[in-house]
Amino acid sequence: MARVSSPSELERLREEILSNRDPNKPCITICSGTGCHAYGSEKINSAFVKEVKGQGLEGKVDIRRTGCHGFCERGTLVVIYPEEICYVQVQPEDASEVVQSVKDGKVVERLLYTDPVSGKKIVRESEIPFYKNQSRTVFGNNRRIDPQNIEDYLALGGYSALAKALFHMAPDQVLEEVKKANLRGRGGGGFPAGRKWETTRNAPGEPKYVIVNCDEGDPGAYMDRSLMEGNPHSVLEGLTIGAYAIGSHEGFIYVRQEYPLAVENVTTAINQAEEYGFLGENIFGSGFDFRVKVHRGAGAFISGESSALMTALEGIVGEPRPKYIHTAVSGVWEKPSVLNNVETWANVPLIINNGAKWFASIGTEGSKGTKIFSLVGNVNNTGLVEVPMGMTLRDIIYNIGGGIPKGKKFKAVQTGGPSGGIIPEQHLDAPVDFDALTKLGSMMGSGGMIVMDEETCMVDVARYFVDFLCDESCGKCVPCREGLERMRQVLDDIVQGKGKKEDVELLEELSRLMTKASLCALGATASNPVLTTLRYFGDEYRAHIEEKRCPAFVCKELVFYHIDPSKCQACLICLRNCPAEAISGDKNQIHVIDQSKCTKCGTCFDMCPPRFQAVIRLSGEPVPPPLSKEQRVLARGKK
Amino acid sequence: MAEIALNIDGREVRVEEGVTILEAAKSAGIEIPTLCYHRALSPFGACRLCSVEIIRNGRSRIVTSCNYPVGEGLVVNTKSPDTIEIRKMLIELLLARAPKAKIIQDLAKEYGVEKTRFKIEDPENLCILCGLCARICEERMGVSVINFVNRGIERKVKTPFQRTSDANLDACIACGACAFVCPTGAIKLEDITKKKPIPIPSEFDIGLTSRAAVYVPFPQAIPNVPVIDRERCIHFLTDKCKTCEEFCPAEAVDFEQEDEIIEEEVGAIVVATGAEVMDHTQFSIYGGGVHPDVISTMQLERMMNAAGPTGGEVLRPSDGAHPKEVVFISCVGSRDKRTGTGYCNKVCCMVMAKQAIMLKEHAPDTHSYIIYTVDRGPGGKIFEDFLTRAEKVGTTYMRGEIDSVSRQDGRLLLSGKDFLTDETFNIMADLVVLATGLMPNEDAARLFQTIHISYDSKNYLLQAHPKLRPVETAMDGVFIAGCAVAPTDVPESVAQGGAAAEYVLKLFSQEAIEAEPMTSIVDITRCAGCLLCRQVCPFQAIEAETLRDGRTVASINESICKGCGICVVACRPGAIKLRGFDDQQVLAEVMTL
Repeated sequence: MARVSSPSELERLREEILSNRDPNKPCITICSGTGCHAYGSEKINSAFVKEVKGQGLEGKVDIRRTGCHGFCERGTLVVIYPEEICYVQVQPEDASEVVQSVKDGKVVERLLYTDPVSGKKIVRESEIPFYKNQSRTVFGNNRRIDPQNIEDYLALGGYSALAKALFHMAPDQVLEEVKKANLRGRGGGGFPAGRKWETTRNAPGEPKYVIVNCDEGDPGAYMDRSLMEGNPHSVLEGLTIGAYAIGSHEGFIYVRQEYPLAVENVTTAINQAEEYGFLGENIFGSGFDFRVKVHRGAGAFISGESSALMTALEGIVGEPRPKYIHTAVSGVWEKPSVLNNVETWANVPLIINNGAKWFASIGTEGSKGTKIFSLVGNVNNTGLVEVPMGMTLRDIIYNIGGGIPKGKKFKAVQTGGPSGGIIPEQHLDAPVDFDALTKLGSMMGSGGMIVMDEETCMVDVARYFVDFLCDESCGKCVPCREGLERMRQVLDDIVQGKGKKEDVELLEELSRLMTKASLCALGATASNPVLTTLRYFGDEYRAHIEEKRCPAFVCKELVFYHIDPSKCQACLICLRNCPAEAISGDKNQIHVIDQSKCTKCGTCFDMCPPRFQAVIRLSGEPVPPPLSKEQRVLARGKK
Repeated sequence: MAEIALNIDGREVRVEEGVTILEAAKSAGIEIPTLCYHRALSPFGACRLCSVEIIRNGRSRIVTSCNYPVGEGLVVNTKSPDTIEIRKMLIELLLARAPKAKIIQDLAKEYGVEKTRFKIEDPENLCILCGLCARICEERMGVSVINFVNRGIERKVKTPFQRTSDANLDACIACGACAFVCPTGAIKLEDITKKKPIPIPSEFDIGLTSRAAVYVPFPQAIPNVPVIDRERCIHFLTDKCKTCEEFCPAEAVDFEQEDEIIEEEVGAIVVATGAEVMDHTQFSIYGGGVHPDVISTMQLERMMNAAGPTGGEVLRPSDGAHPKEVVFISCVGSRDKRTGTGYCNKVCCMVMAKQAIMLKEHAPDTHSYIIYTVDRGPGGKIFEDFLTRAEKVGTTYMRGEIDSVSRQDGRLLLSGKDFLTDETFNIMADLVVLATGLMPNEDAARLFQTIHISYDSKNYLLQAHPKLRPVETAMDGVFIAGCAVAPTDVPESVAQGGAAAEYVLKLFSQEAIEAEPMTSIVDITRCAGCLLCRQVCPFQAIEAETLRDGRTVASINESICKGCGICVVACRPGAIKLRGFDDQQVLAEVMTL
């Protein structure tokens, strides 16, 4: 493969690639992101390969393994082009039927997505409400690209932005464009990327470094993973354009230890980009050199913090350093370094190709462009969604997310990961952008959005996040290390029914200390989940502390299962399924739960036939003592 | 360096650019509490105790003063309500982490934190994870043997893989810097390494105490400034440390200093380089180096000195108890046939007498024996009274020798023979003092060779004539005095020194130097310029001279030439003749026989 050494050569190559591709040729794309990989997309791929061969279609039908499509609730997704027929929850056994349908030009009805509202089946992917209401400018290309094949990216216009920047724009013009677009960091901080680039560009010191932060530590967030796995070239292109604007010739991609597929795909992408002349020495023959190295993390959340990440790149334990002198001025090895999130870099080629004005036309006043969210939790359509900044939480959760499953009520949505807070129903119409959510006490963060229904205990949620941060705190500074541990102890006491009246004030005191005196943002924002749950659901705390009651029936020590003797029909179902053998009873004897053996697993509650509804949950009130043996005899016919 | 003006607690403070708020406050006498800060280590920012409130561009912020650089117009409040609340909370948290740490208890008192609401997990824990130990080990000692392991609340200071017993992994140099810098006493050297620190024995206190790598050799040292022991200094061993440089307010520490070679032209030299004391630990026959309670007279001298290592108390090295029975063994290494050089050390008898008297004065229940081989003291009018006085205070003088010194029940059993009664004796002593001899300095021979003066087989200097010319040498202009010549006591050293000075003055007060006429002379018409004569002249009287025509010839300094004639013999062209002894004159003498 000869290196592309000019923009016109790139265009020629692109034309060549496109001319070799028949747009009408059937192509079976199989989503192979980590999510669908867990669903078994490997096996599905083998099944399809076998079927295509077996049905004599080899060469006539393409199979393409793509990155994450985003609709993770319904994986494994298989989309047939050019018709864009979208099959959901595909199994390996379905391969022969699907291939047959491709051959015959038909559709496999049973594998289509069924709209829960209308009940109708939807054929085309873009018409599925989940996708329809999104604005997938950055993420959309995932479904058209095999990340192991650079030519897929080129076919879609890839690397034209880089060519434009290198040959038609001076570095400071590129910088100005990014500044004008007001691209703000997508990793959570929301700092204007153009301003950061400018600081580094003007800072004294050589060499300058550019870094991709793919540490993505927030529980439940996987946008960066899917971008990196599915469309690594978009990130590489953005990074190279950024390096050109800043004057950097060396870049790092920091990928967390737990993303092996992302490491594999970005490494392949780097090799191929170098082969084609889009990376390395004399890119495009422009004279600009830029090298990239992939660095794997070692399994710590804190190393996603920018100064900790840079310390880790230096080969030292990833712990944060004071940032009174910004890392943009003094970063890796005390050289000026720009660190940006994966999604931030991926937006850069779009800005260069379509212009700052186009980018700024999307979004709100303070937050331009789109944002990818991982919509997870108690929501019908879990997955990755990309929407313009400013769309309301309600629209995202209901129009795209499809609302709360099993008919449960919405309680709260947690945004921004462990640094963010919960937002209750009354604020669902808040627009999602950098500033609006911060006003409510939360933050948009890196894009994690955990939807919670009525069966979520907010004190338990606070405890969960504090527990997470406790384990992930680097332990260097006293407020975070000691403060979080003590917060965890207080919250553990509260959920176990050992809470004291002074506990709320103690939590607030610890929060004040951590917010003001912590060394890094982990400690400074760690109290957000606690403070927001206190703010919006303070009565739940009171119930736990004063009444020893968990309103959501989650906190095991405070919840008791009881069989209502007036409802029990002695059907033996719960008795037989109780894993602790805590239920006693007989065919005509009302069942009784032995509280000393009960592990509060809730199996009896789930298994009791809905027409009886005899098992109830009690919290904050005493459990009625069991009836005497004589009283427990069931007289049939009596209801 | 630019000067910055900032405001701390309402006061204007002017400092150099690049300084931190903490340093600026210190320079203005404003105290900010710290735990993880150390002047010689890079700021860590872990304890957060030094948090202060700053106002910059109208915005107020809490920052740690130990690592925040000063800026023009910065307004700092070190005791704002927020900072006080922060410190109190930090102290309360640390009180639960290390309740017995005195530094935390003191801070708690200072900030009115009476108790901690938090559960105390380990009441014996002292470590507050300040990181000073890890940082001094890495930054200053250059060894990096301990560091933090684990994350969050599990964080601890440990060695790599927490192995202290594997000798292959034990890179610890047992310097003790970590224990030294630990604010709570949590670090124990035995937790890190099996190695024991090796103390540097103090030369001045003859090993009775140890010294540091940077030390003032003795209180009357001239110049009275510390010196760095290059062989022990961590900087010279690992290229790191330099903590002393950090602390010296006069910026007087200069690691680049090298020996200077200074050339001076002088008219006379007085060699009075003295002698060394023998190391008593080599005399194992008397228990030296075997039993700790066998010491030397020099060591006893240091102990009795009020400014010495024991504050003037005479203590047994083994258990620190006061000795009651003391035995002095004389002539060790000198006149004693078994151990000695064979000649009298001159000074020991008076030293022992003095020490016996002083021991008695200091502790009346002390009793001393002095075992001597030949005589109890030197002859001469000033000594007799003193020796009698020693006897009068109860010192037992015995002429004899000691055969063995052994330890028994914590005391020392000496067995010996009394020369006067010819009987054996046993003495139980608490302390044995060996009167060890003097010996020439280690590099005496090398020095004397450089000056071209003669010395004997024992490396003592040779006088020009032992009776008639005791302070002169065969080299004109070089004079000698004191212990470099032979073991000498104070009165004699003073006399010799004075005499040498007189000779120098006599030399310098002359208008001209009177030289012997029998000196050598070079015939420059015959001299080949080979300068072999210069090599062989023992008095360095011959120099090279360049004539007007460019030829090099030998030139003899007549005031130095002693007329020994070696150059005459060495000269191959026969260009040198000795006045009064040239070939014809010698022949003439022979002919008259």
